[in-house]
Amino acid sequence: MSALVTLDAVSVRARGEAALENFSLAIAPGETVVLLGEPDCGKDEILQLLAGVPLKAEIAGTIRIRDGQAERAARFRGRGLRTAYLAGPYAQPFSPHASVAAQAARVIARKLDAPRPSARAEFGAALERLAGAPPLATFDALPGALGPEMLAWGLFAAAFAGTPDLLLADDPLSRLSPTQARAMAALLQAEQKRLGFALVYAAMSTEVVRWLGGRIVVLRHGKVVEEGPLSRLATAQAHAYTRTLFRAAPSLTLDAEKPRSQSRAEPVLQVHALEWRKNLEPRETVTFELRRGRALAFVGEKGSGRHALMRALLGLERVEAGHVVLDAVDIGILSEGMLMRLRRRVAFVTGSDEALDPRMLLWDTVTEPLRAHLRLPRGVIAESREAALKRVGMAGLKGDVPVAALSPFDRRRLQVARAIVGAPLLAVIDEPFHGLDAFAQSVMRDLLREFRESEGPAFLVITSDVAVAQALAEDAFVFAGGRIVERGSLAGIVKAPKAPQTKRLIEAVRPQETLSPPPSGG
Amino acid sequence: MSAAAETRVSPGLRTAIRAAGLSGLALIAIAVSLTDVIARAPADAVGRGPPLTPPSAAFPFGTDILGRDVLSETAHALTVTLANSGAALAVALAAGGFAGFLAARLPFRSGFVLRWAMGIFAAIPALLLAVLIVGIGGRDLWAVAAGLAAAPAGFVRAFDRARRLSAAPHAEYARASGIPASTLLKRDLVHEFRDTFLSIAARGLAAVAITLSTVSFFGFGAVPPHRDLGLMIAAARPTYLAAWWTAGFPALVLVLLILCARLAAALEEGERP
Repeated sequence: MSALVTLDAVSVRARGEAALENFSLAIAPGETVVLLGEPDCGKDEILQLLAGVPLKAEIAGTIRIRDGQAERAARFRGRGLRTAYLAGPYAQPFSPHASVAAQAARVIARKLDAPRPSARAEFGAALERLAGAPPLATFDALPGALGPEMLAWGLFAAAFAGTPDLLLADDPLSRLSPTQARAMAALLQAEQKRLGFALVYAAMSTEVVRWLGGRIVVLRHGKVVEEGPLSRLATAQAHAYTRTLFRAAPSLTLDAEKPRSQSRAEPVLQVHALEWRKNLEPRETVTFELRRGRALAFVGEKGSGRHALMRALLGLERVEAGHVVLDAVDIGILSEGMLMRLRRRVAFVTGSDEALDPRMLLWDTVTEPLRAHLRLPRGVIAESREAALKRVGMAGLKGDVPVAALSPFDRRRLQVARAIVGAPLLAVIDEPFHGLDAFAQSVMRDLLREFRESEGPAFLVITSDVAVAQALAEDAFVFAGGRIVERGSLAGIVKAPKAPQTKRLIEAVRPQETLSPPPSGG
Repeated sequence: MSAAAETRVSPGLRTAIRAAGLSGLALIAIAVSLTDVIARAPADAVGRGPPLTPPSAAFPFGTDILGRDVLSETAHALTVTLANSGAALAVALAAGGFAGFLAARLPFRSGFVLRWAMGIFAAIPALLLAVLIVGIGGRDLWAVAAGLAAAPAGFVRAFDRARRLSAAPHAEYARASGIPASTLLKRDLVHEFRDTFLSIAARGLAAVAITLSTVSFFGFGAVPPHRDLGLMIAAARPTYLAAWWTAGFPALVLVLLILCARLAAALEEGERP
């Protein structure tokens, strides 16, 4: 069978640097091709070229649709090919001023050359076909009122409703929890089987690669490092880079040893019969202790109650009953001012790119906890700043760079540097690897482990990924529906989960497992 | 112009517009500092030439009905307008933007009560407010009145912006890790004013210059011999149709002042209250 699209010796040179070198690829109808690599490896350029987006770059090579004439890649605008695009986690594909349904209907109408009401009906039908998708009426809201999961449903349905020949995906699953991402990957494969479109998925994480299967093209600095089917690349990588890539991201260890008994370090957090959810019947309380240097993970899906408990522990929400003792002080008897002072000993490292003030400069961001709480000589502050930035590998960056200009990975490392400077007793680590590529995840994991070992804060890890919890903590509470459904050592929970919700969370990140193989070669 | 509309102007073009506006304001400031050189007669000096002489080599801007040199009068009037605009701008910034920023951090609902009250005043045209304040406080307060009249809109804008900043995720995280409110206020003030002070001030200058001149035009502002541009235009009303230069040149200078201020603000109008 002839290829749907053929890229032949395509090169892209932007701002004097090679973004893609001599790249060739033939995509068969119904095939899955995963472009795997770090940011700036060339996968973005390939997606943009296939989408027919004009690039401000020198472009060489040709692109051919089916058996047609080869077109110069620089002039390729995707004529004769029905393409759909699933935007990446950092893109904002929807305008904030119109409802998601209206925007989706507009795109579908253009693709199908159909009137707007029919396009809206197609969008609704596509949603109905996706098991678990919310109803059409949900998408009559503005994008700002919908969360990332809802927007992902909308994007997927809009893409499928356009009945594409080629679906281009810029890692839309990377911001979802593993359970949601895996479910979406399964839906993607089911729709691919039904509609027969070819899928080109640009991935940063090897997890997605395992779920989608197909042909993997590993890229680095615009060049193909290795190429082959998942069955080979996931187990026997020929190139050291591919091997490192597959091993870099945190993965679940099913037979991990149970850690030795708790250290006798002083308690940072003591919780006694805390009732943290209002109007929950039957009432539920929690009692536990977290000591210095230990790490406890709150594992569960978004909305499962993890953040509600964390907010109650820090005194950010009023609790119904019980006591929280933070650094030997019962926070229930403190005024708001005293509580603020106590919270100086708490640091945050989160997967949210909005956790740091984008207007602040790099150096100011790092030193703010010191300047806000202590009157230290400038020299001492500068020394702490330099030491912290050196530890996270950012000492070489200019101090007057605004946070807004930093990459997501740099912002994440900056949060660690800020936490180091603050010398906290308790560090809240909230989805620290979200949206990062495999290498960045590996670096972050090492930085956080080193931070905990050297400074000795207690870690409160909040995540929906059991593998991340296992990489950073020893014990865990598993949350579902506002309750703690399971608790204990992570090794024990992973080895023998009891609650069905725990089993689902573990299933989502179980290693060396792929979903049913997608259709290959049409 | 809304934020979305502002994005249509490329950063390079915006910088060029701003530079042109600032250069114009700098030239106006130089002209004001050289008033004694440019003006060949003291302010309000009558009988300097034959009445209603058209522009000529002897009188480049002509003379008015009392034989005053229009060039000298315009130079003096520009100085008065600019000085009073500066004072009014300071009042507008302090009672408007800065106060709004602080009010957003007042405890309980007191900030919202102030925001509500200021919202009502912001709905009244600044000119009417200025006339009202002059009527209550007297003519000597006309510059302060123009500043106070421009303040409510700035207050509302600053208040809303500060509330949005206060609810931003980065502020929530900062509070959750014990960063005090004073540090957050300092952070917002430094960054908001560092990035936008020039635009706010330039926009405010244009607004208060219009209000001041109009108040004077109605006869509630400047008093001879310290005439400003608005009063000069008002005084030329009986002769304007026969001798255009008597009001044309002061009006042109006023337009230039406002245009340069608007260009220095890169033609941004800020967020609508």
